[in-house]
Amino acid sequence: MSTFELLGMGFQNAFALSALLTIVIGLMLGVIAGALPGVSFVNAMAMALPFTYSMAPTQAMLFLGAIYVGGVFGGSISAIIINVPGTPASLPACWDGYPMTQRGEVRRALAVAILASAIGGLTSALVLSFAAAPFAVFALRFSQPEFFAATVLGLISVIAISKDRPIVSLLSLFLGILIGTVGVDPQYGVARFTFGAPAMQSGINFVVVMIGLFAISEVIDLIATNRDLRPSKAASARGQVSLRDFWEVRGAIARGSGIGSILGVIPGAGATPGAVIAYGIEKQVSRDGDKFGTGIMAGLAAPEAAKNATTGSAMVPLLTLGIPGSAATAIMLAAMMLHGVNPGPLLFLNDPTMVYTIFAAMILANILMIFAGIGVAQFFSTLMKTPPAVLGAFIILLSIVGAYGVRNNIFDVYVCLFFGLVGWVMKRTGFPTAPLVLGVILGPLAERYFMTSLANYNQDWTVFFTRPISGTILSLAAVFAIWSLWPVIRAQYRSVVLLLAGRAGS
Amino acid sequence: MTKFRRTLFGSVLIAGALAMTGAATAQDYPNRPIELIVTFGPGGGADVMGRQIAQILEADLGVSIPVTNVGGASGNAGLTRLRTSPADGYTMGTLISLTVASWASGIGDNTLDDFRVIGIVQSTPSFLFVASDSPFETAEQLLEHARANPGELTVATSGYGTQDDVALITMADQGVDMVNVPFSAPGERYAAPLGGHTDVIYEEPGDVGQFLESGEYRSLMIFAAERHPEFPDVPTAGELGLDMVYLNTFRTLAVPAATPDDVFARLEAAVIAATETDQWQAFCAQTYTCLEPLTGDAAQEEVNTFYHAIAAQLDD
Repeated sequence: MSTFELLGMGFQNAFALSALLTIVIGLMLGVIAGALPGVSFVNAMAMALPFTYSMAPTQAMLFLGAIYVGGVFGGSISAIIINVPGTPASLPACWDGYPMTQRGEVRRALAVAILASAIGGLTSALVLSFAAAPFAVFALRFSQPEFFAATVLGLISVIAISKDRPIVSLLSLFLGILIGTVGVDPQYGVARFTFGAPAMQSGINFVVVMIGLFAISEVIDLIATNRDLRPSKAASARGQVSLRDFWEVRGAIARGSGIGSILGVIPGAGATPGAVIAYGIEKQVSRDGDKFGTGIMAGLAAPEAAKNATTGSAMVPLLTLGIPGSAATAIMLAAMMLHGVNPGPLLFLNDPTMVYTIFAAMILANILMIFAGIGVAQFFSTLMKTPPAVLGAFIILLSIVGAYGVRNNIFDVYVCLFFGLVGWVMKRTGFPTAPLVLGVILGPLAERYFMTSLANYNQDWTVFFTRPISGTILSLAAVFAIWSLWPVIRAQYRSVVLLLAGRAGS
Repeated sequence: MTKFRRTLFGSVLIAGALAMTGAATAQDYPNRPIELIVTFGPGGGADVMGRQIAQILEADLGVSIPVTNVGGASGNAGLTRLRTSPADGYTMGTLISLTVASWASGIGDNTLDDFRVIGIVQSTPSFLFVASDSPFETAEQLLEHARANPGELTVATSGYGTQDDVALITMADQGVDMVNVPFSAPGERYAAPLGGHTDVIYEEPGDVGQFLESGEYRSLMIFAAERHPEFPDVPTAGELGLDMVYLNTFRTLAVPAATPDDVFARLEAAVIAATETDQWQAFCAQTYTCLEPLTGDAAQEEVNTFYHAIAAQLDD
């Protein structure tokens, strides 16, 4: 049978009432879990796992897949409305989404985010359906040096993101990388920076840091400044959604979808690096690049498209090779194992109906997500009308539950509260917090890939430059770094020239 | 006065609560849900095992067994939680070979004396696999090449200081010198030989079943005293002239050391019964981990032997 026939059969199964209902319920759960600050969709998937025991294997996969698709988008709702990212991948949505909300354009921001996410996800689902095999081959070409190079590109993007003070952002990033080294190192199993406390050996989890830095600190700020989250003016005329807006950001959505689809296929990379790199690249490419961070639609659309574009392609290595590339796909693998299904090349031969029903469901889920997203976003918009005291208490409660829920560990709650205070001080002093979180996320990844690369290539550090893919990505990162740091370099150069000229003159 | 009264009232309350739990333990264990702490995140081998056996145990014990994932520090974060939980049989945890190996490297503040192993429910020897397009057709070819070119071949493993590492060091001592390349993310490890990033992978067959079935992996040798019934053509390390200490990868269920004998006996019986069910047999066949269940003191002894074998290797 041809791909189209198989996919047609898949759609038939996906449109069955029980399947459709499973997808819709999964989507709603995912969007809500994603949108609640503190509760991540990975958490929601883990909690949903026992409910899939009684389902048929295909239905279980549809349910988890829908939570995944909805959850990756959901995080942006709270990022845009209250400047608290619901999931790490929604961090970039704060940078241009929240400024739009502050201008009274919350509806417009949400509409752009939903559409960009849906198009990104749809692109990725189509890649999964039609090009799973070649993409799997492409993924296998990536070895540890390439993973390292991609992670470095993600780290460098952080400098590109910083609005005007790249040096301060770099400091914040390095601090994050340092925090990421706490705990048992992945290579030699040696405890680092634990100060003799056993609880520290589990390391500092990035989700916990993010909840503290963004959610808790926001509430502390609310209490300290007694400010009102409620917009002073109702949605302005500019806040109306128009079709022209979507046409304007078509390039950003296309680039974001492409970047996300490619990065998603690589095991280990995922929605967060995808979104950050897409934002960094869009900032360089876009006409309004220098205005990014003030509420530019392209700056919201690109990372939104990219993060949802990782959902379909992340399932390529899972289904074709049986290799889970992220926490979310690892849970899907567990669900398949519990049902006695072994993913991998044989699955396509033995049970093509299941595979193509999953493909069809992923396509369908991304279209249905537009409605689920609008529904949940409407509900969350009422949050803005809630008194700050009520909203603050609500956020604190969710944050503590969320921090505990990451690993069911009480130590994480203390870490979260600590970073809440740190985040508030940083916010007050104008020290950027986003690079720190990205350092905690990407630092340990970079370290692991670096160490494994060296072990694999005879401790030869030149492999990073001599391997073609890795070399290309690293040169791109170098260009990126120089481009973003150019204003600083030029200013330094000028002052040195002026200094010398002054000396010569005297 | 009020303060004294409050303290007194509190003490009475606590004493009463203690007496009640004590009574309940002795009479009709279990009469409320038993928490199963999986010491790794959702989706891994320990998680799948834990969820599978919890489902089967629920039917036998007649109470629900919710699974809680407490990952971190090679499984020690979850074990610390297990150790500090009341030893009343209402909290169990997974204890796996990787965590026991981590103790030998000084990770965590747990020791084997803190726990009673209910039973080893999964245990499997490891293999050396190569990708199907590898030039090495047999183990002899691989060993010959490794002897002639020390330090040239790379082996994907789960890390340093693990049973993988010990096996490679023991082989290197006998002239088969291959480089240990640790991949702590399992997915990346499985992909390494397929993508041509490493020459060989040291792995248990259950985790790479899909590649064995599809023929993308070729099994070269097994680290066990005898050949594996599922892989009758794969020679053992001993047959190939290597002198090895065989360290199986295992997964156990454990409770805090102070758990009373009658409660422990109930759990032990339930675990033995669980491993005999059709559901478990299908699961262990799928993961190549079926074995005669080893429970109680025998299981404790086995885990102890494993620990000392790793510790002795790391001391050298």
